[in-house]
Amino acid sequence: MPCTGVRPHLGGIVADPYKPRAPFAPWDRRELPGLFDVEESARRIGNYKWAEMKLFEALGGWVATVPELDVKMRLGTHCYKHAWHAELWHKRLPELREMNPERLTQPANDAMVRFIEAMTEPEAPEQTIEKLVGVYRVFIPHFIAAYTFHKNNTSQITDAPTIRSLQFILQDEFDDWRDGEMLIQSLIETPEEVDRAAAHQTRLEKLMIEAGGIAGPGSIGGAGAGGAS
Amino acid sequence: MRKFFPVEELARDSRFNQVTMKDRMADPRSALVKDEPRQKSNRLVPSRPDASAAARGLMHGIFVGEIQALEGAGRTCHDFRTAGDSARRAQDDAHGEDSFADAVPFALKLDMARQAWDEARHVEISVKLSDWMGSEIGEFAENTVLFQAACSTDPILRLAGVNRALEGLAIDVFTTMKEFGDLAGDPYLEFCEDWMLADEVTHVKMGSDWLRRVTEHDPDRRKKALEFQSVVDKLFSYGGTRSDSQESPIGLARRFRELAGFTDDEVEDIAEVSLAALEERKASVARMQATAREFAAS
Ligand SMILES: [Fe+2]
Ligand SMILES: [Fe+2]
Repeated sequence: MPCTGVRPHLGGIVADPYKPRAPFAPWDRRELPGLFDVEESARRIGNYKWAEMKLFEALGGWVATVPELDVKMRLGTHCYKHAWHAELWHKRLPELREMNPERLTQPANDAMVRFIEAMTEPEAPEQTIEKLVGVYRVFIPHFIAAYTFHKNNTSQITDAPTIRSLQFILQDEFDDWRDGEMLIQSLIETPEEVDRAAAHQTRLEKLMIEAGGIAGPGSIGGAGAGGAS
Repeated sequence: MRKFFPVEELARDSRFNQVTMKDRMADPRSALVKDEPRQKSNRLVPSRPDASAAARGLMHGIFVGEIQALEGAGRTCHDFRTAGDSARRAQDDAHGEDSFADAVPFALKLDMARQAWDEARHVEISVKLSDWMGSEIGEFAENTVLFQAACSTDPILRLAGVNRALEGLAIDVFTTMKEFGDLAGDPYLEFCEDWMLADEVTHVKMGSDWLRRVTEHDPDRRKKALEFQSVVDKLFSYGGTRSDSQESPIGLARRFRELAGFTDDEVEDIAEVSLAALEERKASVARMQATAREFAAS
């Protein structure tokens, strides 16, 4: 019988399961090379975990300090999301040969510590705008940038578990950024409040520039993007 | 932001009025106060003549309690160091501390963050339920004692006082409210209370598990935490508002407490303290009535 790719089978015709197929389907264009080796990936993830921890701690602490009921509830909800992100990174570290996840759970540099100090400085009930601006106009956009860079530059095959976590986390970050930005827009009612928001954002952005991003210089490429390709 | 946040500074909009525990108990609309000639049952059931106002008052109490539970869980995420995080912390520096003594396990903080989300949902649920029941934010006063229990500087005391004592009380309250919804033919109320009850059992269990784990090799700290829990339990048994007796508006939800990690002995202790508080209140009412009679006769 000539090979037709189909075999007669118990009165029916079925596709031949033994026919050779390409290991990667034509629509699967994932590539092996990536910008980060195991060590660099772990280093970045340690920085992410530390920064997510600082974010959920700050959001949790601020709940009691904001009088606006809708903001209070959103901060409580977002607090958990960032704790969950920290947990995902905590669990990823041992898979990257870091058996003591605390060792790499650290700020990218001292400027990042100073950024967190400045971001968490506002406490008074009249400073909800400053609290939200620090998180939703500075910190979270930098998370989105660093995570997007990581997702688009790591090996799509060898580092698939990190990419999966990044996709879940990025979805949260976008959702929370939108929530936070809308809260800020609803709170800012006067030109003076626009200035207040902008001044605080400028102050924090300058510190973030010094830090170089969530994972330090090279967070979104350029100098220090590092690792093997 | 400071390391610990004082209860007097809890941020609220202009609708809220904060009062002490004693003031709140004296509010005649409260579900928890019934000094009129005692009926056989004082349990919060729809047949009680004041059921509607009492249930609304209790729901408002739940609403503000959920806000404080949210604030307390959030503060526990913030106030203590995470074990293993060696970076400088402004709040420790400002507090004159560089000690790591109060560091809590990372997983404990994750549980507190999860609780913050759950409590935020409970605030959402109780705002909508209050509206459904016809009351408004600020219609009743807010007693801030729950947050006070969350101000302890020892995280384990917080877990004992808030997660075990107060959230244990929440289990009792939600069980009573769920039954109230069932009896009143209000499936909306019953449905929501049942969901919140599931979360509260989880929170109490978190408290039970962490208390056991963290104090495994520190019997003194465990003893201190359990003592703090019983002080809070006693405080909330004030007036016998919660007990096995039908004379208490709120029952003791024994089965759910078991699920949440309370031992039989612990449940019995709470039952005893609650009954004693009820008897104490009845005796004090009787004394006041006798004094009033004497005064009227003189
Ligand atoms: Fe709750
Ligand atoms: Fe709770």
